[in-house]
Amino acid sequence: MATVTISDVWKYYGKTMAVKELNLEIKNNEFMCILGPSGCGKSSTLRMLAGLEFISSGDIYFDDVRVNDLPPRDRDIAMVFENYALYPHKTVYENMANPLKLRRTPKDEIERRVRRAAEILEIDPLLGRKPVELSGGQKQRTAIGRAIVREPKVFLFDEPIAHLDAKLRSHMRGELKHLQRDLETTTVYVTHDQLEGMSMADRIAVMHEGVLQQLGTPEEIYNQPSNEFVAGFVGEPPMNFLDCTLEQTNVGLTVVHSGFRLALTEQQASLLTAGGADANVRIGIRPDNLAIEQGAEGSLDVPGEIFVIEPLGGDMIVEVTIGSDRVMVKTKIGPMGGPGDPCRIGFDVDKLHVFDINTGVAYF
Amino acid sequence: MASREIVRYRSPLRSALQGLSILFLIFFFVWTVLPLFIMVVSSFKDLLDAFQLPEVGDWGDIGVMFDFKPTGAHYVELFTEKHFGTYLRNSLIASLGSAAVSVSLGSMAAYALSRAEFRGKRDLLFWIISTRMAPVVAVMVPLYVIFRSSGLVGTLPGLILAYTTFNLPFAIWILKGFFDNVPYAIEEAAQCDGCTRWQAFRLIIPLVAPGIGAFIVLCVLFGWNDFLFASIIGSGGAKTLPVATAELVQPVKIQWGMIMAAGVVTTVPMMFLGLLIRRYLVAGLTMGAVRE
Repeated sequence: MATVTISDVWKYYGKTMAVKELNLEIKNNEFMCILGPSGCGKSSTLRMLAGLEFISSGDIYFDDVRVNDLPPRDRDIAMVFENYALYPHKTVYENMANPLKLRRTPKDEIERRVRRAAEILEIDPLLGRKPVELSGGQKQRTAIGRAIVREPKVFLFDEPIAHLDAKLRSHMRGELKHLQRDLETTTVYVTHDQLEGMSMADRIAVMHEGVLQQLGTPEEIYNQPSNEFVAGFVGEPPMNFLDCTLEQTNVGLTVVHSGFRLALTEQQASLLTAGGADANVRIGIRPDNLAIEQGAEGSLDVPGEIFVIEPLGGDMIVEVTIGSDRVMVKTKIGPMGGPGDPCRIGFDVDKLHVFDINTGVAYF
Repeated sequence: MASREIVRYRSPLRSALQGLSILFLIFFFVWTVLPLFIMVVSSFKDLLDAFQLPEVGDWGDIGVMFDFKPTGAHYVELFTEKHFGTYLRNSLIASLGSAAVSVSLGSMAAYALSRAEFRGKRDLLFWIISTRMAPVVAVMVPLYVIFRSSGLVGTLPGLILAYTTFNLPFAIWILKGFFDNVPYAIEEAAQCDGCTRWQAFRLIIPLVAPGIGAFIVLCVLFGWNDFLFASIIGSGGAKTLPVATAELVQPVKIQWGMIMAAGVVTTVPMMFLGLLIRRYLVAGLTMGAVRE
């Protein structure tokens, strides 16, 4: 139950910069996800919030309290670690009771709270076991249990489900989100898995090379990426990027590629003009926003050649060669021919993104 | 978990080697146990019986070795006239005391060296172990001078200090390896739970228990079996068992029975220690949860 304010925070390891001028406000009871590839500074940020690492410069506030110089124990946070970091010599019960014991909670209160947390996490039959006797998922639940037995100001999650197998991971995503809503506690969740961010967070902060790229709701991040990095990092399969040139024609501003020409809408054209776009741009389009039909003759505009088809059960991903580039198209599964066969591709121009070819900044 | 089966196929060579290894084990058993056996048996014989030996090669007459009336006289004499009770106590205090000091200082130093990064760390580590490289005799004279001017000669604290100088570097090196294997995340989790750094350190001590156990054995053995320090620095007020036993060897009328009894008194506590620690060590190792 706290607002977390990260104000102008920098982090250096020696001369290496890990976090650059980070400003972030996490609202009370918000589920904030810090998303980025490894080495983007997201874990450093979390560890600075926890007090496990010094802040090179800048300030962190919990509500109105500056916590820069407080050790972890005085920050009233609870953290779940990537490798769970359970105490191997203690039972599940003792692991979960530890934070309460350190706060001199009465014995019966500890008992009550640990049992309740264990029930929520469905690990109550395991309370007498040691961590070695647990599966990955059970260890992770124990680690979460250790965090939720108290009512901390902030939950900090450092890739808590990264080491679980895919099925359990998707199950735990739902559980964690539900738990966070239930407990109503400000949460900072660090992950490199865009799916976790998209599915769980209220807001996502995308980081890359120590710099905050974009802050927004999952929907904003997905539909209005601020730059090429965010656009490429979020979404599975990833967005297609094609280098094109802009040409003024009688139907308005047109994107020209070796395999196709696309007329932009008036609104898009004015955004490009306003942004002072160069003639060379990079366009991006998500595989979901491309249509495909089989055969050389068809109603769709762009001719292509199938490179490979990856069926996914209900959907399939078709990789198609257009001119000198290759794009991924996501579509419902159905007859499509095979590699080398001709096909036609349709662009949903409204869903098109255009980026500066040098800076990667999105015009729209 | 992957299978850990070691595949072994029968072959003539393997059978031959197996036979050889059994022979070796029998020989080894006799080699190690026989002296102990003779020591224990002789300590219960009076002087005449002790020299009732069969002729060399006369295996039929081996019974004479066992043909005696057991007597506890040597033990009684040892503890009444020769004050072995005091020496036993000195030995225990000196070796256990040094183990306790070394383990408490050593674990803290090892923890610091395992966790902290600082300039010259490797040099410091090497310097610590290099103090073990000189033989005891080489430092004996300067140590004696220092101890004498500090009034430590002939006292138990002096002896404990002397053993600690040799045990501590060893403790630091052994324990550092064990601390290195404990993930730092566990301490970080402890700090988030509400531990101070010191509480977090105490929390992970059980995880290095096998190392501490192994080290205590080595440390106690060093002090218990030591003769050189004990005879020079401990001489007088802090006489230990090995020194006292050596003094039983007099120019005339060597007390073989008492020497054997002293040998038993010296050996038995270490055997118990071995048994005690072995169980503890195994328990520590099977915990096996240091790595996630």
